Amino acid sequence: MHEVAVAGGILDAVRAEALARKPARSVKVGIRIGGMAGVDPGSLAFCFEALVEGTDLEPLELDIEPGIADELEFCYLELEPT
Amino acid sequence: MNRVAIEGKVLSENERAATELRAEFAHHGIFAVNLIGSPGSGKTALLERTLESFDPSRRVAVLTGDIQTDADAQRLSRYGFPARQITTAGACHLDARMVRRSLEGWDLTGIDLLFIENVGNLVCPTSYDLGEAHKIVLLSVTEGEEKPLKYPGIFFKADLMAITKVDLLPYVPFQAHVAEANARSIHPGIEIVRVSSLLKTGLDGWLEWIDRHAVTIGAV
Repeated sequence: MHEVAVAGGILDAVRAEALARKPARSVKVGIRIGGMAGVDPGSLAFCFEALVEGTDLEPLELDIEPGIADELEFCYLELEPT
Repeated sequence: MNRVAIEGKVLSENERAATELRAEFAHHGIFAVNLIGSPGSGKTALLERTLESFDPSRRVAVLTGDIQTDADAQRLSRYGFPARQITTAGACHLDARMVRRSLEGWDLTGIDLLFIENVGNLVCPTSYDLGEAHKIVLLSVTEGEEKPLKYPGIFFKADLMAITKVDLLPYVPFQAHVAEANARSIHPGIEIVRVSSLLKTGLDGWLEWIDRHAVTIGAV
């Protein structure tokens, strides 16, 4: 279940990015996962939701796009002015 | 709503640690390989035969990962080379920080060749760069020749596939040429060796692969 660690990595990056863009609130984060990345999108979505629940980032959404080969990369962050 | 592009790898913290490790290995001329395979695929046995074959003057060291126990480090330290256990206490893979911590206290100038035996698992270790020069995947003949298709990630990233336990081929339905074709369909350039750690056959091809790749960084 290394998807937990991957989800944690996404949240760390979102927090760092959000800090730089204060006071906007992060709404959605987009990532790309390739078929050879060894990460299961369904399992990652489950872990992500569990880790976000009850934190200041709730209700942050995760958007998973298919990537190339072993890609496991960030694409975008959607922010909302507060 | 404002959308901003963000770039970089999701596992950027591991990436950073792996990049530092890779630089450290390069600095000390260490050729590091990351052995990945299912539990029981014969990673430790292959390393035992490998260490056994080396001249005592060879500057080689081993890190071996497991969820619990230091049984593998005990097995591997019988051959006169430094061997250390990384006990992950639950984690299903090694990450670059664990490797860094485990190298502390070792004189890296005295190591030319470092074997890193990952936790037995064909999935999670795939995503974690350990700063190694090459990933090596082990597939034992008791596992089934369709494994490269079921777990394509590791066969895509590995530069060498070692088919292990080939002494059992007469007793199992495993067709080595099918397994090899499956691996090549995922990764056309993958190199392949067939070994039996029990009968000590095929080790020449395996050792030749190590020496051929280690020499490219001047680490033999």
